[in-house]
Amino acid sequence: MPVMTPGGFAYPGTSLAFKTGGWRTQRPVHRLRAAPCHVGCPAGENVRDYLARTADGDLQSAWEALVAANPLPAITGRVCDHPCESACNRGHYDAAVAIHNVERFLGDEAIRSGWAYPLPPVKTDAPAVAVVGAGPAGLSCAYHLRRLGLNATLIDRLPAAGGTLRTALPGYRLPRSVLEDEIARLLTTGIRFLPHTALGREVSLAELQRDHAAVFLGPGRPRPRPWDVDGRTPRDLHPALVLLQDWVALGTVPEIRSAVIVGGGNSAVDMARVLVRTGATVHLVTHEALPAAGIPHETAMKAALRDIRQAVEEGVILHVEHGVHRLILRGEKVVGVELVRMKKLARADGHYETVPFEGTETVLEVDQVIPAVGQEVDTLGLEALLPTGGLLPVDGFGNLPGHPALFAGGDARLDARGTVSGAVGDGYRAALAIHAQVTGTTQELQGEPAPIPVGDLTLNYFEPVPRTEEALLPPEKRTGAAEIATGLSAVEVAAEAKRCFSCGECMACDNCWTYCPDLAVLKTREPAADGSHYLFNYDYCKGCGLCAHECPVGYIAMEAESS
Amino acid sequence: MPQALEGSQAIARAVALCRPQVVAAYPITPQTHIVEHIAKLVADGELHCEVVSVESEFSAASVVLGSACAGSRAYTATASQGLLLMSEVLYNISGLRVPLVLTCANRALSAPLSIWNDQQDSMAVRDAGWVQLYCADNQEAVDTTIQAFRIAERCELPVMVCVDGFALTHTLEPLELPSAETVAHFLPPYRFSRTLDPLAPLTMGTLVAPEYFTEARHLHHAALLAAEKEIVAAASDWGAASGREHAPLVRVEDVPKARIGILTLGSVFGTLLDARDQLPDPPVRLLHLRCFRPFPVEALRAACAGLSDLVVLERAIAPGADGIIGAEVRSALMDMDAPPRIHNFAAGLGGRDVPLAIYPRLIEAIGRPHARMSPIDIKPELLPENAPSPIKVPS
Amino acid sequence: MNTLHDLRASQPRFQGLESGHRACQGCGQALAARLTLEAAGPNVALANATGCLEVFTTTWPDSAWRVPWLHSVFANAAAVAAGMEAALKMQGKDIKVLALAGDGGTFDIGFQALSGMLERGHNVLFVCYDNEAYMNTGVQRSSSTPHAAATTTSPAGIARMGKRHLKKDILSIIAAHHIPYAATASVAYAADLRKKVRRALQVDGPSFLQIHSPCPLGWGHGSELSVEVARLAVQTGLFPLIELELGALVGAMPIREIHPVTDYLKLQGRFKHLFADDARAREELAHLQALADHNIEVYGLQGKAPDTLDSEGADSVRRGGLRSA
Repeated sequence: MPVMTPGGFAYPGTSLAFKTGGWRTQRPVHRLRAAPCHVGCPAGENVRDYLARTADGDLQSAWEALVAANPLPAITGRVCDHPCESACNRGHYDAAVAIHNVERFLGDEAIRSGWAYPLPPVKTDAPAVAVVGAGPAGLSCAYHLRRLGLNATLIDRLPAAGGTLRTALPGYRLPRSVLEDEIARLLTTGIRFLPHTALGREVSLAELQRDHAAVFLGPGRPRPRPWDVDGRTPRDLHPALVLLQDWVALGTVPEIRSAVIVGGGNSAVDMARVLVRTGATVHLVTHEALPAAGIPHETAMKAALRDIRQAVEEGVILHVEHGVHRLILRGEKVVGVELVRMKKLARADGHYETVPFEGTETVLEVDQVIPAVGQEVDTLGLEALLPTGGLLPVDGFGNLPGHPALFAGGDARLDARGTVSGAVGDGYRAALAIHAQVTGTTQELQGEPAPIPVGDLTLNYFEPVPRTEEALLPPEKRTGAAEIATGLSAVEVAAEAKRCFSCGECMACDNCWTYCPDLAVLKTREPAADGSHYLFNYDYCKGCGLCAHECPVGYIAMEAESS
Repeated sequence: MPQALEGSQAIARAVALCRPQVVAAYPITPQTHIVEHIAKLVADGELHCEVVSVESEFSAASVVLGSACAGSRAYTATASQGLLLMSEVLYNISGLRVPLVLTCANRALSAPLSIWNDQQDSMAVRDAGWVQLYCADNQEAVDTTIQAFRIAERCELPVMVCVDGFALTHTLEPLELPSAETVAHFLPPYRFSRTLDPLAPLTMGTLVAPEYFTEARHLHHAALLAAEKEIVAAASDWGAASGREHAPLVRVEDVPKARIGILTLGSVFGTLLDARDQLPDPPVRLLHLRCFRPFPVEALRAACAGLSDLVVLERAIAPGADGIIGAEVRSALMDMDAPPRIHNFAAGLGGRDVPLAIYPRLIEAIGRPHARMSPIDIKPELLPENAPSPIKVPS
Repeated sequence: MNTLHDLRASQPRFQGLESGHRACQGCGQALAARLTLEAAGPNVALANATGCLEVFTTTWPDSAWRVPWLHSVFANAAAVAAGMEAALKMQGKDIKVLALAGDGGTFDIGFQALSGMLERGHNVLFVCYDNEAYMNTGVQRSSSTPHAAATTTSPAGIARMGKRHLKKDILSIIAAHHIPYAATASVAYAADLRKKVRRALQVDGPSFLQIHSPCPLGWGHGSELSVEVARLAVQTGLFPLIELELGALVGAMPIREIHPVTDYLKLQGRFKHLFADDARAREELAHLQALADHNIEVYGLQGKAPDTLDSEGADSVRRGGLRSA
């Protein structure tokens, strides 16, 4: 019982005895929410995390956070079409964070500084897993198996690892030195790599299955898909993939005066750009539309918009929503093509069908038609699993139904994304599933969490900051394999990283601490157990909701009190 | 060595001897001379003090409250309307148990407006929880002012020193001022026990819920009752220090065989003393109620022992009720073995002169029927019922 | 358990106002007072007028204050502070004195004492927590209540559209005292508020700060909206954030993106009647918009280019906290 004081004076800070938390009908809680960049990254990169570390200036730790999902950031930082940036909430405010530049910078810094991949030591007695195909999917899978403490044997039919990255990606997009350096570093992490080892030739699938706890198949799609127009093909038909591989390997292509490239994917665009570099007049014909907001994925060109733009800058003549209707041949040699306007239209069943519009025909005079209409899996060694032209059906973790120890990913799987980052993600998820299976744990397939929408952020607290666009080599200087995108400087990368809204995750901005009228938010010295920097003191929190409403990043949710 | 000083000046010098650090006041007749003199002492460098010339008495009381709580000795003076404008703060100061000294230059309250002396103002705030001391003359005003600071500081209660406006404040009397050393010894430097201090921060002026409020009030009441001892001690100690001892609670000027007593407050007491000298028969015991708050029940009973009749003469009225002091005296004396009959009169309202001739009229009034309370110096001819022709009221 | 206690004791800010006070959920005044004390620091002495702040912080035997604090009565905070300042000056102590009052204790009942304190030049910072009505007694109108706002003594009904009179322009009156520093602030701009408290305390002489402090109960909005409502008051131009030195305008927070007043009004129950299908309601809305437009014109609030100290830039946050103030 208190004892009355002269004049009823009171001692300082004694209100702490009065626990206003009892008034609360709802309580604030920290709720980590998925960032759209993270959800949007096919490779599963926790972008928000490495941007935060980059912003803090801890580049090595940022890189380590990055390679916890994707071991090839110097490569993907260049070639990925960065769906993370399309998803970035900042895009609704001013412009998306230039995530790919941060990724590329961290990858380059790791190479330059020789940072070691954060991996456990190799244990010789750990279960071994075979990985077929040393493209992005296989490399990623082998790496993640290592990261998870398993041993990985990576085989490839070619003399060197890299798959399509090595065989068909022009140097102006991915300099050879970057490819070599990053893959070489990856292969020194304890992955056993066997080049010149083709499935169905040097080793059979049965043998691999016999000798390994599990097998991951990442054979890619190394063969061009057949192409004709009404059953006719020119005699001197060169598929784009073959020409590209020649150019990447040798730096030359047959002399061509003018050509029509047919297709809207990366190979088509790269083929066009390579030919432009040799002085040819190049038309690119595709029945798809330019990628843009509101254009369904199914009807848009699969090549990245950035690459399409650069191709046009370089002189490629683009004919979107057109198709080759007829080959004009003199003998078996092409002298021109008849184009017609076409459009991919959705049918009642939701599927898309390409429809030509009669009466819109035009003629292009060219001396080559080069199809770039997709590639397919080489079934050598996989005959038991799929027919010619087929793809490997897998579940969300890359497991082939009916084959408990057999996994697949990358371009060879059904519904593949067809991107490097997609392949990296496939390898990652398959490694997780393999690890779970080998170690006898269960790996629950979780649906993608819903990313925090921009409306759940409080944008008042952010200032517009222009996105730093990397400089591009001017079109007239784009010769040979000279890299076009020049990347960002360390200062620019830090500035970009600081533009991150940190959607759904505490960034220690102090807003909750600043705006709590009841001093019920306490700031911690070290990060709190939940990774934030604040604790709610529920003895005093009255549940007003100000902290949640004013949290810039949507990290605080109000929950009803149970009673 | 006695010197002739105006009452206000004497009080100002007494205040200065007590070394207040803050004086705040607002001009109101008849208090103005006191503060003017203090301001001059400060201007002449004789007193190191902040004189805050506020924009109202309400702020004057508030400023000295703030100053006292901040650890300074503080003083204010007012009268009449000014005291009432302060009244909200007066209650607050005492409730906070803050030591302060206020001189009230007693004056009537409006309406109708009167700038002249009676004691309606201090009587109006008699329940504000302050110590109230009334002075019969300017020497007593000087001595009481000095004692008031010590009482206030020892009791943590505010003290109001009441002096009749004009009758004392504007009157030249020979009196003695003590030396600075004497006062410094009697009244050492003071620090309020609950001084606002960032190093020991206390919260003053809290909200007290019904479950605790009675205890807060009770402590205040008990503190005022207990202040009686300090009032007595202050008078006695000051007597030793200065050679002048005033009766602390009730001054009794007795004569042998007195069966009649007259009790009053303030300067009228001097008039009654003079009148008694001229009219020694019948013998009358004169009582000055110096200490009105706390109300000195025991001292009053002792002072009234043996009286058959007691006239209570006051300079205020409580319209529609008994006299303010009369009622309290009745109540205090009623359970004496043989309480005197109480005859309650007012006189000198709104500055009406209280002449020597009042004395025989009071004695005479004892033997005649009279109202429980009435102004004894009323002029019946001025009352409408006695007007020779009906009063014309403008319509 | 002790962990939280220890953590509270080691927060990197001065907690002059502690937890356990009994303000309503989302109280703007509690927030404003907390921010004021953070900026003012421990070497202060406070005089507090009667009102919500006084009541909710000092329910005996509890006190939420960690600074010397004195509450006398409703009208006299400025005078009590003046007395404290005079005493401390005489004692040679360098302790800053603050007077805290609501709009009632500033615009209305405490106005005379405030004017006197300013005129006499006391070195006191007077902080007015402006929640635009008598909230402690149940939301009665004050002279700070905005035009057309409904309160319990200016209710809206068939014959009336809320308060008939204008919000008193207290700052102009304060400015006419030619004191060294006077400013308005808002709980929505914490850094700006704290900066102004520090500026006010740096001047030698009287200073005045009017802090717009939403009252969820009295204004009729959700407790979580106090900061948003305050922010919109600034962004509409209805509550300009300005600074005056010796009566002259020396600073105004530019509004980068001026919002229509309806953005602010529609969040609050006290203006609900203005959204009825009624010609008088439309007229009052137009009147309030005109008042905002007038402020924008008179104080030159329209931002010319994005600025880190404008209505959008001043509340920006960054990773790792450490706001500029």
